[in-house]
Amino acid sequence: MTVYLIRRLLMMVPILLGVSVLSFGIMYLSPGKPAVLNMDPNVSAEARARQIEALGLNDPVHVQYARWLARTLKGDFGVSYIRKRPVGQMIWERLGNTMILMGVSLLLAAAVAIPVGILSAQKPYSPMDYTVTTGSFLGIATPDFWLALMLIMLFSVHLGWTPVGGMSTLGADFSLLDRLHHLILPSIVLATASMASLMRYTRASMLEVLHQDYIRTARAKGFRERTVVYKHGLRNGLIPVITIFGLLLPNLVGGSVVVEKIFSWPGLGMMFIDATFQRDYPVIMALVMIGAVVTIIGNLIADVLYAVVDPRIEY
Amino acid sequence: MKRTIQRIGLTLVVPFMLVACGDSAPTTESAAAAPTSDEPVYGGNLVIGVPGEPVIINDLYLQDVPSSDIVELVFASLMTTNVALEMIPQVAVDQPTVSDDGLVWTYTLHDNVRFHDGEPLTAHDVAFTYSIFKHPDYTGPRSGDFLTMESVVALDNQTVQFTLTEPDARFATRMTYGILPQHILGDIAVADLGDYTAFNVEKPIGAGPFKFVSWNQGQNIVLEANEDYFEGRPYLDRVTFRFAADLNALVLLMERGEIHHFEGVPAGEMAGLAAVPHVNMHSTLALRYDFLGYNLRNPLFQDKRVRQALTHAIDRQEIVDTVMEGHAEVAHAPVSPLSWAYNDDVPRFDYDPERALELMAEAGWTRGSDGFLQKDGQRFSFEILSNDGNNVRRDLGIIVQQMLGEIGIEVNPRQMEWGAFLERILSPNFDFDATILAWSLGLDPDPSAIWHTREIEQGLNNVGYSNPAVDAIADSNIVIVDQDERAAALAEAWALIAEDQPYTFMWYPQQFVALNERVNGFVHHPRTNMHGVERWWLSTN
Repeated sequence: MTVYLIRRLLMMVPILLGVSVLSFGIMYLSPGKPAVLNMDPNVSAEARARQIEALGLNDPVHVQYARWLARTLKGDFGVSYIRKRPVGQMIWERLGNTMILMGVSLLLAAAVAIPVGILSAQKPYSPMDYTVTTGSFLGIATPDFWLALMLIMLFSVHLGWTPVGGMSTLGADFSLLDRLHHLILPSIVLATASMASLMRYTRASMLEVLHQDYIRTARAKGFRERTVVYKHGLRNGLIPVITIFGLLLPNLVGGSVVVEKIFSWPGLGMMFIDATFQRDYPVIMALVMIGAVVTIIGNLIADVLYAVVDPRIEY
Repeated sequence: MKRTIQRIGLTLVVPFMLVACGDSAPTTESAAAAPTSDEPVYGGNLVIGVPGEPVIINDLYLQDVPSSDIVELVFASLMTTNVALEMIPQVAVDQPTVSDDGLVWTYTLHDNVRFHDGEPLTAHDVAFTYSIFKHPDYTGPRSGDFLTMESVVALDNQTVQFTLTEPDARFATRMTYGILPQHILGDIAVADLGDYTAFNVEKPIGAGPFKFVSWNQGQNIVLEANEDYFEGRPYLDRVTFRFAADLNALVLLMERGEIHHFEGVPAGEMAGLAAVPHVNMHSTLALRYDFLGYNLRNPLFQDKRVRQALTHAIDRQEIVDTVMEGHAEVAHAPVSPLSWAYNDDVPRFDYDPERALELMAEAGWTRGSDGFLQKDGQRFSFEILSNDGNNVRRDLGIIVQQMLGEIGIEVNPRQMEWGAFLERILSPNFDFDATILAWSLGLDPDPSAIWHTREIEQGLNNVGYSNPAVDAIADSNIVIVDQDERAAALAEAWALIAEDQPYTFMWYPQQFVALNERVNGFVHHPRTNMHGVERWWLSTN
């Protein structure tokens, strides 16, 4: 196991290097210049040339990449082209907001998906099961942005129950209730896709367990169905489900970009989309790398957990 | 620049996705203050909705509208503009005295102006601020405004004197920059000023009607009333700028009463917002025109008669009535009706498809068997490029496609992401046939930045327009200090440009501000969102 872990961690290095080369290349090749250099008639050609030079954008792409890599390896993400502030500091300021949103969404997804998945597995091919299955396919298929806009239209505009966006009521002191009020819609939207896949996993895993011999034995002993399912079945049935959480992380990272932008939730996702439109290269690169690390770690956690909970798996 | 964020700039309209539209006609009010029988009351927190987060609270470096709105409140400037876009004094006591040769401009300052930290604002601060533009290490975008300025000195605490190398009629409009405190920034190297976030982001200190309180990254900026503002304490206790994702979000926030003010209501949302009981709409002409520009490097567009024909074939009034829902005036010249230099006595090419076909025939374009105009076996076909997320431009492209199609011209409208779009249409690529854009104009009507031949390679003259007569006027108009004389010279340039039709001038649009009914004292200024905010107040009912 230790050897395996070390091997996996070592493998992260070439993967991350590859991701950085690819994203740097795509960024370099994509049309559009950093917004700081946008057309402004009061900027003389000379001043603009100076700015471009100062940002090092005149150097060949491999030189720019090498400079970025050297700096990043020292733990320095550079300075935002647009906001002139250290990227590390900007990320640190918003990291917590994104974690809150993702955490609440994950909890929400688990709280809904696991019980519903179990119920579906108990009565497979019943009308309830079909309803749940259809619902989860819809959840997977529905685009985040559409769902977000629909929910805003319904709950914020027509019913006036929830805020349109933001993290807290303006001018009000911080209160948990107010924060949750602002969290409701974005976390529901972000949780939807994860909820749906988690539900399918739970159902499949429980179905498999409920057909095992020892479950039949338990029933033959005359245990109540509830005891059979929740005491004997659940513990084994949820083992594979736990491992899935690591795989949900990339989903959440991707989803947060859209959800945060629409709900004006000031986290890393919103920062990423703004930086993309402004071509704020240092910010884009830093966030892409963080996303890559989170994805790889998420996969690693899933694999390791799998080995931990299932003795039949050996690395 | 305070109140003149960009002398001219490419107008970026925020992507727009949600269209919820009522069917009642929008009620628009004049630009006058909202009528009220009450006496102004002190207090309240005014919430302004802005589409996007400001970048920097320093007038010498900002390049975005949200930043300029904040600067407007936090900083004071020598001069400002009124709703008629005339220069009026703020920190200065009166208009400047200008020497007979037009080279020496002297301003006298009020003696009771203080920065938010209590230090007096003197002529030394003004000289300090304006000398930065001339410093070789200045990294900001505005040095081009001061090419004719030789020096600026404080003669005493209340008198500041600018000396020019040559007469410059534009110079009066350069006096609107927010004055920086020398006692805080004097020791910072000019090279580092633009990145000096301790001042520009964390604690900007000016002498304006509101003090900076806090900037919650990604959420809002809070300002509070400056009790010692030299023109009297503002009525409002606080002004909060709330950042939203885009104009859609602002429309929703307005409907829910979560913001009190936002500028830039999209045409399609007008009726819906106007129908909301607590929302009042204000409109005024924007200092801007929208246009369809032709790349004159393309052989298709090199014959003047062809460009005139294209304009003749486009029913602009019809487009204004439909796409803009009537909230615009058809434009004929590259100058706004709001400008003192406006003159609409220019050649016009009104909707006349017959005349369009005649002109095309003169230029050698005749209908082929397939119904399209052609010449030497080549079909007249081109692409109109615009930025995505802008429904008005999308619809305009489609309608122009149809109208030009009727006289046998093939048009392909296409939209691209803003950054990519700019890269295509600007130096060094110029990779476009025709493009839909708008110019936000500056206080000074000097046409050089857009029309001068020297601006073709690097500047905003990306259509490649070159006319020696226009160049001559562009060069000479800036030394004519007498406004009437200068207006006459410029009128000639407008006529020359209109005759050449490098653009089909589309319209002068209205701009709309949505205002919560509790806001009183609002005055709609065509260039700046926060005009006179120290005299706005919130009623308590």
